[in-house]
Amino acid sequence: MSRSSILQPLRQTLTRPVARQPRSAFIASASRSKASIAKPNQTTPASVRSDETLTVPFPMSLSPLLENHTSDICERHEVHPEEPAIRLPRSVQSLYLQPLRREANYGVPTCDLQLRSYSVPNLEFFCDFALRAAYYLNLPAFGPVPLPKIKERWTVPKSHFIFKKSQENFERITRRRLIQIRDGHPESVQIWLAFLQKHAYYGIGMKANVWEYSKLGVGKEMEGQGQAMQDVIEDKMKLLGRDKTEGTVQKVQELLESERFRIQG
Amino acid sequence: MSMFRSKKLDIGSFLNIHVIRDHTKRKVYAQFEPERQALRHIIRNTTLPARTRAEAQLQLTQMHCYTRPTQIRGRCLMGGKGRGIFRDFKLSRYNFRMQALEGNLPGVRKASW
Repeated sequence: MSRSSILQPLRQTLTRPVARQPRSAFIASASRSKASIAKPNQTTPASVRSDETLTVPFPMSLSPLLENHTSDICERHEVHPEEPAIRLPRSVQSLYLQPLRREANYGVPTCDLQLRSYSVPNLEFFCDFALRAAYYLNLPAFGPVPLPKIKERWTVPKSHFIFKKSQENFERITRRRLIQIRDGHPESVQIWLAFLQKHAYYGIGMKANVWEYSKLGVGKEMEGQGQAMQDVIEDKMKLLGRDKTEGTVQKVQELLESERFRIQG
Repeated sequence: MSMFRSKKLDIGSFLNIHVIRDHTKRKVYAQFEPERQALRHIIRNTTLPARTRAEAQLQLTQMHCYTRPTQIRGRCLMGGKGRGIFRDFKLSRYNFRMQALEGNLPGVRKASW
Protein backbone atom coordinates (compact mmCIF):
# COMPACT_ATOMS: atom_id res chain seq x y z
CA MET A 1 0.00 0.00 0.00
CA SER A 2 1.47 3.31 -0.98
CA ARG A 3 1.73 6.27 1.29
CA SER A 4 -0.69 8.36 -0.71
CA SER A 5 -3.42 5.74 -0.67
CA ILE A 6 -3.20 5.45 3.10
CA LEU A 7 -3.23 9.15 3.63
CA GLN A 8 -5.85 10.09 1.07
CA PRO A 9 -8.82 10.04 3.46
CA LEU A 10 -6.76 11.61 6.18
CA ARG A 11 -5.70 14.39 3.91
CA GLN A 12 -9.28 15.13 3.08
CA THR A 13 -10.28 15.41 6.68
CA LEU A 14 -7.39 17.68 7.34
CA THR A 15 -7.69 19.97 4.38
CA ARG A 16 -11.41 20.44 4.39
CA PRO A 17 -11.70 22.61 7.46
CA VAL A 18 -8.51 24.43 6.68
CA ALA A 19 -8.00 26.53 3.59
CA ARG A 20 -7.43 24.31 0.59
CA GLN A 21 -3.84 24.27 -0.37
CA PRO A 22 -2.54 23.31 -3.80
CA ARG A 23 -0.62 20.09 -3.61
CA SER A 24 2.44 21.57 -5.20
CA ALA A 25 2.79 24.01 -2.35
CA PHE A 26 3.83 21.18 -0.10
CA ILE A 27 6.54 20.12 -2.45
CA ALA A 28 7.71 23.64 -2.98
CA SER A 29 7.85 24.30 0.70
CA ALA A 30 9.93 21.20 1.24
CA SER A 31 12.68 22.53 -0.96
CA ARG A 32 12.87 25.90 0.69
CA SER A 33 16.02 26.77 2.53
CA LYS A 34 16.59 26.60 6.21
CA ALA A 35 16.05 30.26 6.92
CA SER A 36 12.40 30.25 5.99
CA ILE A 37 11.68 26.97 7.71
CA ALA A 38 13.33 27.52 11.01
CA LYS A 39 10.34 29.06 12.80
CA PRO A 40 7.27 26.87 12.73
CA ASN A 41 5.48 29.10 15.22
CA GLN A 42 5.26 32.12 12.96
CA THR A 43 1.51 32.01 12.70
CA THR A 44 0.05 33.20 15.93
CA PRO A 45 -2.96 31.17 16.92
CA ALA A 46 -4.51 34.25 18.50
CA SER A 47 -4.85 36.05 15.21
CA VAL A 48 -6.48 33.05 13.60
CA ARG A 49 -8.96 32.90 16.38
CA SER A 50 -9.91 36.53 16.18
CA ASP A 51 -11.06 36.70 12.59
CA GLU A 52 -12.69 33.26 12.61
CA THR A 53 -12.09 32.72 8.92
CA LEU A 54 -10.90 29.53 7.37
CA THR A 55 -7.72 31.00 5.97
CA VAL A 56 -4.86 29.51 7.88
CA PRO A 57 -1.46 30.32 6.48
CA PHE A 58 0.10 27.07 5.46
CA PRO A 59 3.17 26.53 7.60
CA MET A 60 0.72 25.69 10.33
CA SER A 61 1.89 25.99 13.85
CA LEU A 62 2.40 22.88 15.87
CA SER A 63 0.92 24.46 18.93
CA PRO A 64 -1.98 22.61 20.51
CA LEU A 65 -4.11 25.76 20.35
CA LEU A 66 -4.43 25.57 16.62
CA GLU A 67 -5.09 21.86 16.79
CA ASN A 68 -8.07 22.47 19.00
CA HIS A 69 -9.16 25.28 16.79
CA THR A 70 -9.23 23.08 13.68
CA SER A 71 -11.24 20.42 15.41
CA ASP A 72 -13.60 23.13 16.65
CA ILE A 73 -14.26 24.19 13.12
CA CYS A 74 -14.92 20.62 12.16
CA GLU A 75 -17.57 20.27 14.77
CA ARG A 76 -19.19 23.62 14.15
CA HIS A 77 -19.52 23.44 10.40
CA GLU A 78 -20.34 19.76 10.23
CA VAL A 79 -19.61 19.53 6.58
CA HIS A 80 -19.49 15.75 6.79
CA PRO A 81 -21.03 14.60 10.00
CA GLU A 82 -20.07 10.98 9.36
CA GLU A 83 -16.40 11.88 9.53
CA PRO A 84 -15.18 11.88 13.11
CA ALA A 85 -13.53 15.08 14.25
CA ILE A 86 -10.58 13.40 15.84
CA ARG A 87 -7.26 15.08 16.04
CA LEU A 88 -4.69 13.34 13.90
CA PRO A 89 -1.77 11.80 15.74
CA ARG A 90 1.15 14.17 15.87
CA SER A 91 3.32 11.84 13.87
CA VAL A 92 0.77 11.70 11.08
CA GLN A 93 0.04 15.39 11.08
CA SER A 94 3.72 16.20 10.89
CA LEU A 95 3.72 14.60 7.45
CA TYR A 96 1.67 17.53 6.21
CA LEU A 97 4.10 20.03 7.57
CA GLN A 98 7.60 20.87 6.60
CA PRO A 99 10.20 18.55 8.08
CA LEU A 100 11.46 19.68 11.45
CA ARG A 101 15.09 20.58 11.83
CA ARG A 102 17.66 20.56 14.56
CA GLU A 103 19.74 23.60 15.30
CA ALA A 104 23.43 23.37 14.58
CA ASN A 105 25.57 24.83 17.33
CA TYR A 106 28.91 24.98 15.59
CA GLY A 107 28.12 24.50 11.91
CA VAL A 108 30.92 22.05 11.21
CA PRO A 109 29.97 20.02 8.15
CA THR A 110 30.21 16.28 8.73
CA CYS A 111 28.34 14.75 5.81
CA ASP A 112 27.33 15.81 2.33
CA LEU A 113 24.68 13.61 0.78
CA GLN A 114 23.99 14.02 -2.89
CA LEU A 115 20.79 12.56 -4.31
CA ARG A 116 20.31 12.13 -8.02
CA SER A 117 17.31 11.17 -10.06
CA TYR A 118 15.64 11.67 -13.40
CA SER A 119 12.29 12.45 -11.83
CA VAL A 120 11.60 15.41 -9.61
CA PRO A 121 8.69 14.09 -7.47
CA ASN A 122 10.63 11.03 -6.38
CA LEU A 123 13.62 13.13 -5.57
CA GLU A 124 11.64 15.68 -3.56
CA PHE A 125 9.87 12.94 -1.69
CA PHE A 126 13.06 11.20 -0.75
CA CYS A 127 14.74 14.45 0.28
CA ASP A 128 11.82 15.06 2.59
CA PHE A 129 12.20 11.56 3.98
CA ALA A 130 15.93 12.06 4.53
CA LEU A 131 15.35 15.33 6.37
CA ARG A 132 12.78 13.75 8.66
CA ALA A 133 15.08 10.84 9.36
CA ALA A 134 17.85 13.28 10.20
CA TYR A 135 15.59 15.13 12.62
CA TYR A 136 14.70 12.01 14.53
CA LEU A 137 18.36 10.99 14.66
CA ASN A 138 19.14 14.37 16.22
CA LEU A 139 21.19 15.50 13.24
CA PRO A 140 21.08 19.13 12.10
CA ALA A 141 20.37 18.86 8.36
CA PHE A 142 20.57 21.65 5.81
CA GLY A 143 19.05 21.61 2.39
CA PRO A 144 17.95 20.24 0.07
CA VAL A 145 20.12 22.48 -2.06
CA PRO A 146 19.25 22.10 -5.75
CA LEU A 147 22.51 21.53 -7.61
CA PRO A 148 22.87 22.22 -11.34
CA LYS A 149 21.05 19.78 -13.58
CA ILE A 150 23.09 17.43 -15.73
CA LYS A 151 21.72 17.52 -19.26
CA GLU A 152 22.76 14.90 -21.74
CA ARG A 153 21.50 15.25 -25.28
CA TRP A 154 21.59 12.96 -28.28
CA THR A 155 20.62 13.72 -31.83
CA VAL A 156 19.82 10.86 -34.18
CA PRO A 157 18.62 10.78 -37.79
CA LYS A 158 15.01 9.72 -37.94
CA SER A 159 15.51 7.26 -40.75
CA HIS A 160 18.13 6.15 -43.24
CA PHE A 161 21.56 7.62 -43.69
CA ILE A 162 20.66 9.81 -46.66
CA PHE A 163 17.83 11.58 -44.85
CA LYS A 164 20.13 13.48 -42.58
CA LYS A 165 17.88 16.53 -42.74
CA SER A 166 15.22 15.14 -40.45
CA GLN A 167 16.65 14.33 -37.07
CA GLU A 168 15.31 13.84 -33.59
CA ASN A 169 16.63 15.09 -30.28
CA PHE A 170 16.58 13.15 -27.05
CA GLU A 171 17.69 14.26 -23.67
CA ARG A 172 18.18 12.93 -20.19
CA ILE A 173 18.17 15.40 -17.33
CA THR A 174 19.63 14.32 -14.02
CA ARG A 175 18.35 16.34 -11.10
CA ARG A 176 20.55 16.63 -8.05
CA ARG A 177 19.94 17.66 -4.47
CA LEU A 178 22.42 18.16 -1.70
CA ILE A 179 21.69 17.58 1.97
CA GLN A 180 24.34 18.61 4.41
CA ILE A 181 24.65 17.40 7.96
CA ARG A 182 26.47 19.69 10.36
CA ASP A 183 27.72 18.86 13.83
CA GLY A 184 26.64 15.25 13.43
CA HIS A 185 28.09 12.54 15.56
CA PRO A 186 29.92 10.21 13.16
CA GLU A 187 28.05 7.21 14.47
CA SER A 188 24.61 8.71 14.02
CA VAL A 189 25.62 9.94 10.58
CA GLN A 190 26.48 6.35 9.72
CA ILE A 191 23.14 5.21 11.09
CA TRP A 192 21.37 7.85 9.05
CA LEU A 193 23.13 6.79 5.86
CA ALA A 194 22.44 3.13 6.55
CA PHE A 195 18.78 3.92 7.19
CA LEU A 196 18.50 5.78 3.90
CA GLN A 197 20.22 2.93 2.13
CA LYS A 198 17.87 0.43 3.69
CA HIS A 199 14.82 2.40 2.62
CA ALA A 200 16.30 3.38 -0.73
CA TYR A 201 13.65 4.68 -3.10
CA TYR A 202 13.41 3.54 -6.68
CA GLY A 203 15.19 5.60 -9.29
CA ILE A 204 17.31 7.55 -6.84
CA GLY A 205 21.06 7.40 -6.57
CA MET A 206 22.87 8.47 -3.44
CA LYS A 207 26.43 9.51 -2.82
CA ALA A 208 27.84 10.71 0.47
CA ASN A 209 31.01 12.46 1.53
CA VAL A 210 31.69 11.99 5.21
CA TRP A 211 34.16 13.95 7.31
CA GLU A 212 35.35 12.97 10.73
CA TYR A 213 37.51 14.66 13.30
CA SER A 214 39.70 12.52 15.49
CA LYS A 215 42.82 12.55 17.62
CA LEU A 216 46.40 12.50 16.39
CA GLY A 217 47.71 9.14 15.25
CA VAL A 218 44.71 8.27 13.14
CA GLY A 219 46.85 6.37 10.67
CA LYS A 220 47.91 3.71 13.14
CA GLU A 221 44.39 3.31 14.40
CA MET A 222 43.02 2.88 10.89
CA GLU A 223 45.72 0.37 10.03
CA GLY A 224 44.64 -1.70 13.00
CA GLN A 225 41.03 -1.47 11.86
CA GLY A 226 42.01 -2.22 8.28
CA GLN A 227 42.97 -5.77 9.10
CA ALA A 228 39.64 -6.41 10.76
CA MET A 229 37.68 -4.69 8.01
CA GLN A 230 39.36 -6.63 5.22
CA ASP A 231 36.67 -9.27 4.95
CA VAL A 232 33.84 -6.74 4.90
CA ILE A 233 35.58 -4.70 2.23
CA GLU A 234 36.28 -7.76 0.13
CA ASP A 235 32.61 -8.67 0.19
CA LYS A 236 31.65 -5.20 -0.99
CA MET A 237 34.32 -5.05 -3.65
CA LYS A 238 33.14 -8.32 -5.13
CA LEU A 239 29.90 -6.60 -6.03
CA LEU A 240 31.77 -3.87 -7.85
CA GLY A 241 33.22 -6.22 -10.43
CA ARG A 242 36.75 -6.07 -9.13
CA ASP A 243 36.87 -9.60 -7.86
CA LYS A 244 39.76 -10.58 -10.11
CA THR A 245 43.24 -9.37 -9.38
CA GLU A 246 45.46 -8.96 -12.34
CA GLY A 247 48.40 -11.30 -12.08
CA THR A 248 50.86 -9.16 -14.03
CA VAL A 249 53.60 -9.26 -11.42
CA GLN A 250 53.50 -13.03 -11.07
CA LYS A 251 53.38 -13.32 -14.84
CA VAL A 252 56.55 -11.21 -15.25
CA GLN A 253 58.39 -13.44 -12.83
CA GLU A 254 57.08 -16.54 -14.53
CA LEU A 255 58.17 -15.29 -17.95
CA LEU A 256 61.66 -14.31 -16.82
CA GLU A 257 62.15 -17.74 -15.30
CA SER A 258 60.81 -19.52 -18.33
CA GLU A 259 62.95 -21.63 -20.67
CA ARG A 260 63.02 -19.14 -23.54
CA PHE A 261 64.18 -16.22 -21.45
CA ARG A 262 66.77 -18.23 -19.52
CA ILE A 263 68.47 -19.40 -22.66
CA GLN A 264 68.62 -15.77 -23.78
CA GLY A 265 70.05 -14.57 -20.48
CA MET B 1 38.88 -17.72 -34.52
CA SER B 2 36.92 -20.83 -33.86
CA MET B 3 39.52 -22.30 -31.53
CA PHE B 4 38.75 -19.60 -28.99
CA ARG B 5 35.01 -19.75 -29.47
CA SER B 6 33.08 -21.43 -26.69
CA LYS B 7 31.41 -24.69 -27.54
CA LYS B 8 28.12 -23.64 -26.03
CA LEU B 9 26.43 -20.32 -26.67
CA ASP B 10 27.19 -18.00 -23.78
CA ILE B 11 25.55 -14.71 -24.65
CA GLY B 12 21.94 -13.69 -24.62
CA SER B 13 21.78 -10.60 -26.79
CA PHE B 14 20.96 -10.25 -30.47
CA LEU B 15 22.97 -12.87 -32.32
CA ASN B 16 24.91 -12.96 -35.49
CA ILE B 17 28.45 -14.03 -36.31
CA HIS B 18 29.86 -10.54 -35.71
CA VAL B 19 28.42 -10.41 -32.24
CA ILE B 20 29.74 -13.86 -31.37
CA ARG B 21 33.16 -12.97 -32.76
CA ASP B 22 33.34 -9.77 -30.79
CA HIS B 23 32.27 -11.56 -27.64
CA THR B 24 34.99 -14.17 -28.17
CA LYS B 25 37.60 -11.45 -28.65
CA ARG B 26 36.59 -9.83 -25.39
CA LYS B 27 36.94 -13.08 -23.49
CA VAL B 28 40.30 -13.90 -25.08
CA TYR B 29 41.62 -10.43 -24.33
CA ALA B 30 40.57 -10.75 -20.70
CA GLN B 31 42.21 -14.14 -20.45
CA PHE B 32 45.56 -13.05 -21.90
CA GLU B 33 45.74 -9.58 -20.41
CA PRO B 34 48.23 -10.42 -17.63
CA GLU B 35 50.56 -11.99 -20.14
CA ARG B 36 50.38 -9.02 -22.49
CA GLN B 37 50.99 -6.59 -19.66
CA ALA B 38 53.90 -8.66 -18.37
CA LEU B 39 55.56 -8.68 -21.78
CA ARG B 40 54.97 -4.96 -22.17
CA HIS B 41 56.54 -4.42 -18.77
CA ILE B 42 59.61 -6.44 -19.70
CA ILE B 43 59.97 -4.55 -22.98
CA ARG B 44 59.88 -1.17 -21.29
CA ASN B 45 62.02 -2.09 -18.30
CA THR B 46 65.45 -0.64 -19.10
CA THR B 47 67.15 -2.42 -16.22
CA LEU B 48 66.69 -5.78 -17.95
CA PRO B 49 69.24 -7.03 -20.49
CA ALA B 50 68.60 -6.03 -24.09
CA ARG B 51 68.29 -9.64 -25.25
CA THR B 52 65.55 -10.37 -22.75
CA ARG B 53 63.66 -7.33 -23.89
CA ALA B 54 64.06 -8.28 -27.53
CA GLU B 55 62.77 -11.74 -26.73
CA ALA B 56 59.74 -10.22 -25.02
CA GLN B 57 59.12 -8.08 -28.07
CA LEU B 58 59.16 -11.17 -30.24
CA GLN B 59 56.78 -12.99 -27.97
CA LEU B 60 54.42 -10.06 -27.87
CA THR B 61 54.23 -9.81 -31.64
CA GLN B 62 53.70 -13.53 -31.90
CA MET B 63 50.62 -13.47 -29.71
CA HIS B 64 47.30 -14.06 -31.37
CA CYS B 65 45.52 -11.03 -32.72
CA TYR B 66 42.43 -11.88 -30.61
CA THR B 67 44.45 -11.02 -27.50
CA ARG B 68 44.75 -7.37 -28.58
CA PRO B 69 42.41 -4.82 -27.04
CA THR B 70 42.15 -2.97 -30.36
CA GLN B 71 40.19 -5.88 -31.80
CA ILE B 72 37.28 -5.15 -29.48
CA ARG B 73 34.51 -3.08 -30.95
CA GLY B 74 31.27 -1.85 -29.46
CA ARG B 75 28.29 -3.65 -30.96
CA CYS B 76 24.61 -2.92 -30.75
CA LEU B 77 22.90 -5.12 -28.19
CA MET B 78 19.67 -5.28 -30.15
CA GLY B 79 20.83 -5.25 -33.75
CA GLY B 80 24.46 -6.32 -33.77
CA LYS B 81 25.50 -3.29 -35.74
CA GLY B 82 29.12 -2.22 -35.44
CA ARG B 83 28.87 1.46 -36.28
CA GLY B 84 27.11 4.41 -34.76
CA ILE B 85 26.85 2.90 -31.28
CA PHE B 86 26.09 5.06 -28.27
CA ARG B 87 28.40 4.00 -25.48
CA ASP B 88 25.91 5.15 -22.86
CA PHE B 89 23.35 2.61 -24.00
CA LYS B 90 25.32 0.13 -26.14
CA LEU B 91 22.73 0.61 -28.83
CA SER B 92 22.93 1.74 -32.42
CA ARG B 93 21.28 5.01 -33.31
CA TYR B 94 18.19 3.37 -34.77
CA ASN B 95 17.62 1.01 -31.86
CA PHE B 96 18.33 3.80 -29.43
CA ARG B 97 15.60 5.88 -31.04
CA MET B 98 13.13 3.00 -30.96
CA GLN B 99 13.82 2.24 -27.32
CA ALA B 100 13.75 5.88 -26.31
CA LEU B 101 10.39 6.45 -27.99
CA GLU B 102 9.00 3.37 -26.30
CA GLY B 103 10.24 4.70 -22.98
CA ASN B 104 12.52 1.78 -22.19
CA LEU B 105 15.51 3.96 -21.39
CA PRO B 106 15.11 5.55 -17.95
CA GLY B 107 15.03 9.31 -18.04
CA VAL B 108 15.43 9.65 -21.80
CA ARG B 109 12.72 11.68 -23.44
CA LYS B 110 12.23 13.78 -26.50
CA ALA B 111 13.99 17.08 -26.13
CA SER B 112 12.87 20.49 -27.27
CA TRP B 113 14.51 23.68 -26.27
